[in-house]
Amino acid sequence: MTRVIRLTVNGTSHDVEVPTYRTLLDCLRYDLGLTGSKEGCGVGVCGACTVLLDGKMISSCIALAVFADGRAVTTVEGLAEDERLHPVQQAFVDSGGFQCGICTPGQVVSAKALLDAIPNPSDAETREWMLGNLCRCTGYYKIIESIRAAAQRSRP
Amino acid sequence: MAHRVVGKPIGRLDGIEKVSGEARYSGDVTLPGLVWGKTLRSPLPHARILRIDTSRAKALAGVLAVLTARDLPNILVGRRMFDMPLLARDRVRFIGERVAAVAALDPDIAEEALALIDVEYEDLPAVFDPVEAIKDGAPILHDDPGAYEGAPPERPHPNVQSVLRFKLGDVEAGFREADRVFEHTFRTQLAHQGYLEPHAGVVAIDEDGRVQVWASNKMPFRLKELLSLALQLPPAQIRVNLTPIGGDFGGKGSVMDLPLAYHLARATGRPVKMIMRYTEELMAGNPRHPAVITLRTGVDKDGRIVARRVRALFNSGAYAAFKPAPSVNLGGAGMGAGVYRIPHLLIESFCVYSNNIPCGHARSPGEPQMVFAGESHMDMIARELALDPAELRRRNLLRDGDVLANGHHLEHVRAGDTLEAALKASNWSEPKGPWIGRGAAMTHRHIGVGFTNARVRLETDGTVTLSVALPDTGTGAHLVLRQVVAEVLGLPLDEVEIEVVTTDDFTTDSGVGGSRVTHTGGRAAYHAAEKLREQIGAEAARLGAPATSLAAIAQAAAREGRTLEATHFYDAKAHGSVTSFTAQVAEVSVDPQTGQVTVRRFTTAHDVGTIINPIGHQGQIEGGFVQGLGYALMEEVKTEDGRISTLSLGDVKLPTIQDIPPLTTVILEDPVGPGPFNAKAIGEGSISAVAPAIANAVADACGARILDLPITAEKVYFALRAKAKAQAPSVKERQS
Amino acid sequence: MNAFEYRVPRALDEALTVLREYGEDARVVAGGTALVTMMRQQLVRPGCLVSLRDVQGLDRIEAVNGALRLGALVTHREAEVSPLVRERLPVLAETFRRVATIRIRHMATVGGALAHADPNQDPPVTLLALGARVEIRGAGGRRELSLGEFFCDYYETALVPGELVTAVTVPLLSASSGATFLKFLPRSADDYATVAVAATVALEPDGERCREARIALGSVGVTPLRARVAEALLSGQRLGESVLRAVGEAAKGEVDPLSDHRGSAEYKREMTAVMVGRALTQAWEAARRSARGTL
Repeated sequence: MTRVIRLTVNGTSHDVEVPTYRTLLDCLRYDLGLTGSKEGCGVGVCGACTVLLDGKMISSCIALAVFADGRAVTTVEGLAEDERLHPVQQAFVDSGGFQCGICTPGQVVSAKALLDAIPNPSDAETREWMLGNLCRCTGYYKIIESIRAAAQRSRP
Repeated sequence: MAHRVVGKPIGRLDGIEKVSGEARYSGDVTLPGLVWGKTLRSPLPHARILRIDTSRAKALAGVLAVLTARDLPNILVGRRMFDMPLLARDRVRFIGERVAAVAALDPDIAEEALALIDVEYEDLPAVFDPVEAIKDGAPILHDDPGAYEGAPPERPHPNVQSVLRFKLGDVEAGFREADRVFEHTFRTQLAHQGYLEPHAGVVAIDEDGRVQVWASNKMPFRLKELLSLALQLPPAQIRVNLTPIGGDFGGKGSVMDLPLAYHLARATGRPVKMIMRYTEELMAGNPRHPAVITLRTGVDKDGRIVARRVRALFNSGAYAAFKPAPSVNLGGAGMGAGVYRIPHLLIESFCVYSNNIPCGHARSPGEPQMVFAGESHMDMIARELALDPAELRRRNLLRDGDVLANGHHLEHVRAGDTLEAALKASNWSEPKGPWIGRGAAMTHRHIGVGFTNARVRLETDGTVTLSVALPDTGTGAHLVLRQVVAEVLGLPLDEVEIEVVTTDDFTTDSGVGGSRVTHTGGRAAYHAAEKLREQIGAEAARLGAPATSLAAIAQAAAREGRTLEATHFYDAKAHGSVTSFTAQVAEVSVDPQTGQVTVRRFTTAHDVGTIINPIGHQGQIEGGFVQGLGYALMEEVKTEDGRISTLSLGDVKLPTIQDIPPLTTVILEDPVGPGPFNAKAIGEGSISAVAPAIANAVADACGARILDLPITAEKVYFALRAKAKAQAPSVKERQS
Repeated sequence: MNAFEYRVPRALDEALTVLREYGEDARVVAGGTALVTMMRQQLVRPGCLVSLRDVQGLDRIEAVNGALRLGALVTHREAEVSPLVRERLPVLAETFRRVATIRIRHMATVGGALAHADPNQDPPVTLLALGARVEIRGAGGRRELSLGEFFCDYYETALVPGELVTAVTVPLLSASSGATFLKFLPRSADDYATVAVAATVALEPDGERCREARIALGSVGVTPLRARVAEALLSGQRLGESVLRAVGEAAKGEVDPLSDHRGSAEYKREMTAVMVGRALTQAWEAARRSARGTL
């Protein structure tokens, strides 16, 4: 069984026909060609698949594409503005908040949502927010530093 | 010595594509007409295959091909010892072994098809524990393992894959000289490398009949060779297109599912993508070997080690295929000697067949197991001798001029300095509150060796392109190589670009792993840059204009049909005189009511060579430490009777951002390494001593000595209870 | 996952009709965090998925008659951050906060969690201690059950096919009361509890002795459960070491944990006693503060 759904992804509207079993992640990656979001654990734990659905972080690997019908999705590809990296992305580059990069799209999407909600988070708030974004390479220290740097940079 | 680019705290400038989502990993590659492959796996640990019926699967709409062993040549694969079939032919040897492969229009249809394949099995007796597997009468997994290509000759039991020994002096004589002898046995768990990108690959046969491969594999030339053998094709017919890799940690060096993808591509006439689900990684990836390790150490009355005998059983699972070392064993077994001068030493490491998941290499192969055992053992000895564990170590540390069992004559030994640095930074001797403890542990790691080709080319815009066929596994090595070239040529970093090429563009490269890329890739890039610098100098002289820009020089040469370009092949021989020491101290608190262990802080001290990229270097230390932390306290792929029960990454318990303690890093930088600008290596330095540092701290905090990993609250709780019971006066005593 | 029908009713009655139509072959999905995961693992293969996402009127949080009423489609995150829940039943907001990660909490719903009936989940434990009641709608009309009646077994509730959880009503604490939720996580910060305890203590007018206590436990049986024998020991008692020890021991005897990845049955039993003691101590302190009006 297939359904035609309408997704607004990074501001652009798409009508896509998907099998009902298609996950939102697979729809983004394979039907829309947005391969920035990754599948890691496949059970919603690791955060590599994190996207924003109507501004809220979700695990797209355990969300069906049909759940997002009529809604707005933000992926890592939608963070940069006019060819310039989002301050969070730039901070990850400057502070070394990534290594292999496979968790990085999920990390920066979550970090952007964090700074939108809490512009100057404490380390405790950062750790609570980012609990669900696993990283195997960095040990997290430079992710915390990157988020701190992004917060400082964005302060008016 | 001050450099312009080397050693500067620049960020990870190689990461723009990663933070923006543009980086294309193997699973992101797409081609017209691409279809999806999936494998059916054995539900039994040891069984004969009586019958496979694929008719229902083939009839499912959207299924394009279904293959069993009957459809494939009778080929065995491996990395050094070739004992594993592409698909099980008439026998399965572990739960998770590949039995059939399907290609379909999408991965969901492919998985539905798997459920429609009917297989009839007949159980065979199985064995799971490595101690049991080498007893007389144990079920035998392979009828004639010695006949496999690459099989080492020594086989004391048919279930032994390989034996590796390290020997110095005469260990029995040594024990006779000893004043006291101690023996302890330790166990470590099955642990996955935990890379967040499961194995992924795309195989396409192009119009010229060449096999195009994109794979999460960190040694593309070796992959090309292994595929050539597995597919029975000349190597020139295969091209490996490099992609960034989402974490390797030793686990991505085999052909994995790629031969099946090839056969599915042949059967369907379409490109095939295969991505393992994480459940499949946990059932059939190639995780870190579990181990049973017994150490027996004899010391004199001053606590100096006179003799040590180590017997390690590594539970290798059903196949030896995933081990790449010529010994088909784990080189880390040599760390049974630790960081100590041991005149009489015998280490025997056995890799054993059992009906479990076949294991492979993981970060510092064999070492976290061995160092957990060895460094826990040292603390237990110190306690028996009533010596401060730091002092026992001091009395035995390696020194300049010492010779290791592998023949290396060590120079520039900073074992003592590194230990003292860790002790100082961790406030080792400060008073502690109740239920708080500190523990130390040390290890050392040689600099990795291998061979790499690097080419540098001066472009007509005056920038330089460095070409390598080394994949990006995340360590930051590509940035390091750019820095090396920029330093040699006197250029700003952003005028040096890196180009990752394919296996068509160079003859060979040993790839990533073993903490070797800064050394081998770095030296190749360094010498190639030196050659280019000479060419540029010669060219400038010819032009007669000394201050000419690089762009002008390149353009002048181009007008004559020449490109200024230099290639260097560097084959790093073992640098037998230099190693790197790590000393770590864990400070923990133990909750006596629950046994829960909290790491209050952790100190890691490293004796390193010149640091080329400080942020990248520190990132390796931090990442390795947290992997060691997970290994020590929480990670386990749980298996019982060959059946893995932790089938989701959520069950394995990788550390989260809330699980990390404050970390203090102490660096002792000594420019004596064989790498460019005297660099050493760091990738595998920080992982191996973490678990024993924590185990020793737990013992210090509460007296509970945990001999098997991971150190869970439950184990500490019951150890404390047993201790309390042992110390409580007996009823009879109380009554009298 | 298998191929399945997908229906998105716009109202509760329509949802009930669709469920009747498909019978056992239909599964209801709200956030889908549990269901879709199980479908991806081939554990569940429904012929039809009935999504409640567009059903109106089931996502309100409201104060009603000395209680809080949470609609079944309220997400964990909404319950966690709701000013009303934080003010009137902070222990409940705190409990929702402990569930998994924010991503899961953005999707997983209160009703979905109850219907899933995994005894390792956190919110049912606190809801049980607070005396929550579940509103159910089905073809036969509307009914209400206490949580104790609602949970039957591992992944099993008293819902009959065609029925839906529509809301949960949670009484507020009485005066001079304190409540706490403890989630014992000895391994990693992101996990189900090895043992979870929700304790409420209501004090006598003297502000010292216990009038009534409730102890609910999670992860130590096939459903979340009340340790009623242990609770009874607290009547009229003052907080003290020996009382807590006795209560802990009693609670131990009332649980029947399964050995799993988070601990052996024996360890969970021992930790039941420890965590009950700690939870009661905290709840008692909170009750004292409440009694003194210094909250």
